Amino acid sequence: MIIEIKNAVCRFDDIVAVDNVSLDIKKGEVVVIIGPSGSGKSTLLRGLNALQSFQSGSIAVDGIKVDKNSKNIHDLRLEVGMVFQQFNLFPHLSVINNIVLAQKVVRRRSSDESEKKAWQLLEMVGLTDKAEAYPAQLSGGQKQRVAIARALAMDPKIMLFDEVTSALDPEMIGEVLEVMKELASKGMTMLVVSHEIGFAREVADRVVFMDNGKIIETGTPSEVIDSPKEKRTQDFLSKVL
Amino acid sequence: MIEWISKQVVLYWDIFKYLLPAVPYTILITVCSFVLALILGLIVGVLRISRVRSVAYLAGLYINVIRGIPLLVQIFFIYFGLGGILNLDRFFAGVIAVGICYSAYLAEIFRSGIEAISVGQHEAAQSLGMTRFQTLRHVILPQSMRIVLPPIANEFIASLKDSSLVSIIGMRELTRAGREYYSQYFVDFQTWFMVGLIYLIMTITLSKVVKYLEKVYSVKGFGSQKT
Ligand SMILES: Nc1ncnc2c1ncn2[C@@H]1O[C@H](COP(=O)(O)OP(=O)(O)OP(=O)(O)O)[C@@H](O)[C@H]1O
Ligand SMILES: [Mg+2]
Repeated sequence: MIIEIKNAVCRFDDIVAVDNVSLDIKKGEVVVIIGPSGSGKSTLLRGLNALQSFQSGSIAVDGIKVDKNSKNIHDLRLEVGMVFQQFNLFPHLSVINNIVLAQKVVRRRSSDESEKKAWQLLEMVGLTDKAEAYPAQLSGGQKQRVAIARALAMDPKIMLFDEVTSALDPEMIGEVLEVMKELASKGMTMLVVSHEIGFAREVADRVVFMDNGKIIETGTPSEVIDSPKEKRTQDFLSKVL
Repeated sequence: MIEWISKQVVLYWDIFKYLLPAVPYTILITVCSFVLALILGLIVGVLRISRVRSVAYLAGLYINVIRGIPLLVQIFFIYFGLGGILNLDRFFAGVIAVGICYSAYLAEIFRSGIEAISVGQHEAAQSLGMTRFQTLRHVILPQSMRIVLPPIANEFIASLKDSSLVSIIGMRELTRAGREYYSQYFVDFQTWFMVGLIYLIMTITLSKVVKYLEKVYSVKGFGSQKT
């Protein structure tokens, strides 16, 4: 198992955002998490990148185990790439330098090596012509593709996507999902929070439905999306489909 | 009448020539103390938002104590109080006093500049594996700098004016030169008019330079937060 989440609990004051969640993900698996707003999807994902700490339980990514007393969150982050809903590109850097920066300062790669890698990734996301542009000059879809390239440049073992198409105009969603599909087909382990049911059906090996901080139901896309067992899953899907 | 005017012109010109050699000292004190203020201010500003409570508290204390005491008193304290013990000369005492005083104001400007950058930027950098220091150095501060440039430039202009206070401990800069001229020739109106005029020329020139720099630095649609 490349990702192991064991009895993770995350509380904010009186809200239990993640309530005793356990989830194992195999290498190369694509898992899509769906669920209503406030169900704890983002909190769970952020926990896997130590942007959020759990009060109890543990997570492990590729054998790097982290619980609330751990000091090795930096090791964990090296293995985990994350893409955010709000892009969070670095506005003061050109596209190419957005992808180069962490390679140099974190991975200690040379300029040549980092730039070579950046160009390869820009090629992959179809943005070589925007290498010298600044984030403010890009469309939402382009920004998100750069953000994916930036995360991939660190050679993460797993990739987390938190509603990466939710801030996009409808006509730009496709180009971002395309890149994600390609990544999945190359065998990347992906944990994706998304409202794109079509994407889940097509790409996911497994769909997880969360509500109220708990995993309610999990199974193949056809099991969870087409014939959900739980009432709450049925209610949710009837609203979004 | 014509005679009076030409006499006045000669007098002003004479004062101007007397004051001019002191101008470089005013500039030197201002620049040196401001460099000190920038370094100290950046350090204190960063410490102010440290996660270690006691460190943040001490930085806050520094800022409040320094800002709560008149610069003139700080100059006296450093020159007469500490200077006696540490054997500081006028120049260093003046530079240290003005530098420390302005570092407290700059620390607050740096702090607000850092806090103006969205959490998303911190999270993106940290998710790429950057440490808190690397995040600050490569992601946050470069963006903060553009925000803090105008208020920092204003502080620089203010410190140029405040450098005149250093004249009180006998450091020979522009204001001190004015006092010397006056005590030799007893022309108070013309002397202080000329001293004021020279300060004014310097501050106006500086604010023009700042305006120009702001234009140059506002590049390529940068500044939109939603990126
Ligand atoms: N930093 C925080 N402080 C306090 N409460 C928080 C914080 N982050 C999340 N929460 C709360 O935890 C719960 C779960 O939030 P989370 O963002 O994980 O939900 P989500 O499933 O991602 O929702 P959405 O689909 O709207 O993004 C919510 O009730 C939210 O208000
Ligand atoms: Mg969310």
